[in-house]
Amino acid sequence: MKMDVSWKDITLIMPMITVFLTSLIPITIKVLRGNREQAPMATLIQALSGLLIACGLLVVVGTIADGAAAFNNTLLFDPITQWIGALAIVAAGASMVMMYENPATKGEQFSELVFLTMSSVVGMLILVSAVDLLTIFIGLEMMSLSLYLMIGMSHEEKLSKEAALKYFILGSFASAIFLFGTAYIFGTTGSTNILNFIQDTAGLVQTNRLFLFGITFVILGFCFKVSIAPFHAWTPDVYQGAPTPHSAFMATAVKAVSFAAFLRLIATKTLVGSTNLFDVLQWLAVITMIVGNVAAILQNNLKRMLAYSSISHSGYILVGLITAGISDDGSFGASGVIFYLIAYSIMTFGAFALVAMMEKSADSIVLVDDLAGLVKTRPILSLCFTVFMLSLAGLPPTLGFFSKFYLFSAAIKEGLLWLALWGVLNSVISVYYYLRPVVTIYMKDGEAQIAGHSLSATMVTIFISALFIALLGFVSGPIFSAVERSFL
Amino acid sequence: MILSAIVFLPIVFALVLTFWPKENSIRPLALGFSLIEFLLSLGMLQRFDPNSAALQMVEKSMWIPRFGIQYYLGIDGISVWLVVLTTFLTPIIILASWSSITTRIKGFHVALFILQTAMLGSFLALDAIFFYVFWELSLIPMYFIVGIWGGANRIYATLKFFIYTMLGSLLMLVAIIYMMYLTQETTGSMSASLLDFYRLKIPFIGDDFFSLQTMLFFAFALAFAIKVPLFPVHTWLPDAHVEAPTPGSVILAGVMLKMGTYCFLRWIIPLFPEAAEYWGWLFMVLGTIGIIYGALVAMVQPDIKKLVAYSSVSHMGYIVIGLFVFNQYGITGSLLQMLNHGISTGALFLLIGMIYERTHSREISKYGGLASVAPIYTIAFFIITLSSIAVPMTNGFVGEFLILLGVFKAQPIYSYFAVSGVVLGAVYMLWMFKRVFFGEKGELCKDTHHPIADLNLREILVMIPLIIMVFWMGLFPNQFMAYSSASIDHLVKNRTNYNLVHYDGTATGIQVSQSQGVEK
Repeated sequence: MKMDVSWKDITLIMPMITVFLTSLIPITIKVLRGNREQAPMATLIQALSGLLIACGLLVVVGTIADGAAAFNNTLLFDPITQWIGALAIVAAGASMVMMYENPATKGEQFSELVFLTMSSVVGMLILVSAVDLLTIFIGLEMMSLSLYLMIGMSHEEKLSKEAALKYFILGSFASAIFLFGTAYIFGTTGSTNILNFIQDTAGLVQTNRLFLFGITFVILGFCFKVSIAPFHAWTPDVYQGAPTPHSAFMATAVKAVSFAAFLRLIATKTLVGSTNLFDVLQWLAVITMIVGNVAAILQNNLKRMLAYSSISHSGYILVGLITAGISDDGSFGASGVIFYLIAYSIMTFGAFALVAMMEKSADSIVLVDDLAGLVKTRPILSLCFTVFMLSLAGLPPTLGFFSKFYLFSAAIKEGLLWLALWGVLNSVISVYYYLRPVVTIYMKDGEAQIAGHSLSATMVTIFISALFIALLGFVSGPIFSAVERSFL
Repeated sequence: MILSAIVFLPIVFALVLTFWPKENSIRPLALGFSLIEFLLSLGMLQRFDPNSAALQMVEKSMWIPRFGIQYYLGIDGISVWLVVLTTFLTPIIILASWSSITTRIKGFHVALFILQTAMLGSFLALDAIFFYVFWELSLIPMYFIVGIWGGANRIYATLKFFIYTMLGSLLMLVAIIYMMYLTQETTGSMSASLLDFYRLKIPFIGDDFFSLQTMLFFAFALAFAIKVPLFPVHTWLPDAHVEAPTPGSVILAGVMLKMGTYCFLRWIIPLFPEAAEYWGWLFMVLGTIGIIYGALVAMVQPDIKKLVAYSSVSHMGYIVIGLFVFNQYGITGSLLQMLNHGISTGALFLLIGMIYERTHSREISKYGGLASVAPIYTIAFFIITLSSIAVPMTNGFVGEFLILLGVFKAQPIYSYFAVSGVVLGAVYMLWMFKRVFFGEKGELCKDTHHPIADLNLREILVMIPLIIMVFWMGLFPNQFMAYSSASIDHLVKNRTNYNLVHYDGTATGIQVSQSQGVEK
């Protein structure tokens, strides 16, 4: 295969190059200074400015590219790239702010941590633009490998190491399955590029059993990454063991980009071709919602509860994904998914940020009961947390309600009424555990305090997220239309 | 603009209170705010043309064009009194909470004003999603009011209330989305406007439970029946009422339950006329069971507040059967009964709260002979009791009489049973009254060192407007019915082909129905 690399290709991947180059600055400085850290604040500023430039470039590049492909049709720069890429960059920036202040991550080895986070972001940016299964794999691995290390680097000695190893082993297993499927697809179509077989996927899955095997394995690989039940078992342990900023990063950025790549695969109309796969995915969505919500009810550890909540949200998003996969006009379903991912990321991030505020040391565990009486010491933070919880439960007028509304109305439009019904019934179940921290904060006696050390930047992220969640709901219509228009 | 002002002014008040620096001036400030709101609603009443069945003071603009969701407010004879009831009860509640709410005063008033916006919004919104936002929003402040300021078992009660209500409303949301797609299919453009929903002719097959109209009907009806609450989904109500603080109980009984019955009238009956008629028997039966069951359970309650809570189940049963006979008498009676129940049950909860503050007990058996200790209190309680058991000259009589008349005209069999509720109502209320106020002095009334104080000036001030309303509505019900008769007439006559138009300045009255279907 001949590779033509033009200057245009290079221009298009400028955001990734920027992130990669900025990621090198802190560790290079550290080496030049004889293995001594520079001030963490300097590292943080370098990283954030890199991300900021990358985000700007992503918008510019997206406008220039206008849906064009680069590098021999392996990278595509379309609305999914732009929206989810920007979301990943913003989430990574906010996570780094939290890492700067979290007891489990701050201080020594901060420049390495920032380097790893940034290279994870490079992987994410590749993942959201990749349309070749092998490029997707590269993006996926680059993102995940950095994450395994990041989790293991925590100053906490026990749970984080377990989480890192667990995530690494299961993640590698899922990657292997993904590659296995890719091999089948290559064997049957002679190509690993989605764009090459996108036109006749529906036919191929009907006629070619091996191709169906291949695509099923690839889908299973994704199901693991986005924690769809029954491939979710790693999620609670890893989210709990990882330092909270990392959990927030995984629950938002990692999940969003994995779903973006998943969306590209599903958009090949595989589901239209294979009714069996279609049925299986529908049931997976239902099972995921139920498993996530029911298990979350039983949790007392706040981070673990949020992990199960993120599993249940994967179920809701899968409904949107299925909708996008079967509709002729894919942009409605896809926009629903993108909008949901944005809203979900903001509120989940805020919730994890509050957990981070409560952590007093590297190995402290935050239980729901530890929030008792927080309203007396921190009324505004309590209010923000309530907003996140109500939004996660999908109550109007928060952003969470509107994102569910768009997602489920797309599903109803495509005749997936029963999935929408399961979705809303699960929202009722979820209300129970989302309200539990709220009950504890407002209605139980206690003297909860946020951790004593300075957490000003984390607090700012919470306030901004809460403002977005509370107010963006009212203008969600134009935002959703903007997402949808960008597909035209 | 006046409707927007009425709906959103309380939110502004809530914001002002949030940032108000002085804790001790919050109460007078909140009272002033709620009085402004009340005067504003009276101004609205002044402008309201009672002779027209059209939607008045309409405000309409696009909110989310992609889905045809609009910012759409309007008022007609069905909603007008419920709006005034809400604004009327709020200052009374604030005045009554003066001594009963002692912690987190600011938070309480903020929650109360947000709740007021939510309730007014649900009465005035004419767009399904816009309405849904208010409908669900009303849960959140109520959840906090019960959960923070409530009794010992408050957390269980508030969660039950929240989850119960949300279960119904989420199914309604799916139904609403489905109907939005139906409008797209029939008219080509998606709309969530209630008026466009009215125009849908949803196919109905009587014997088929899975026919579209029946399914949608039940999805909506479940949400509203839980809110009313109708037997057998009433079980959240006694818990919520007993655990709620006095102001919470008053607002729950006074206004929030009316949201359910109002929506039956505004949404279910005109939207699904055939299904409502076909399944009307179910609601008649459940309503009648509610009347008798509520009364019987109320009779044996040892706790005064629980007794009144179950009496609510009974009274709401009347309202539901009045609606489902689909005639002028029944619906007018139901509408009147919504106001009566708001006033008399609200007043009962206030009175119970007042005595509870003094004795910290609601056990009927601990009282007795209260009449000789607190005579003013006794008089007030007696008047409200009479109103609650529908003695002629009080407001309760007119409503219940009209409902029974309507039921008797349409389906007499139910009225035979329903009428027993009147007797049972007298039994449980008067028996309770006898045990609390007369007879041998109970342990709480014997204490001569700390005698139970009679009502103070503030409490008398709280009761006076309610007592005035009891007699005003009892003696001159026509003044109230006049406002809604045109709308109800329109609904009854065009039930299967219902629609509303915007008010154009002339009192078109019932002629509206002839020119139906034209909007703008």
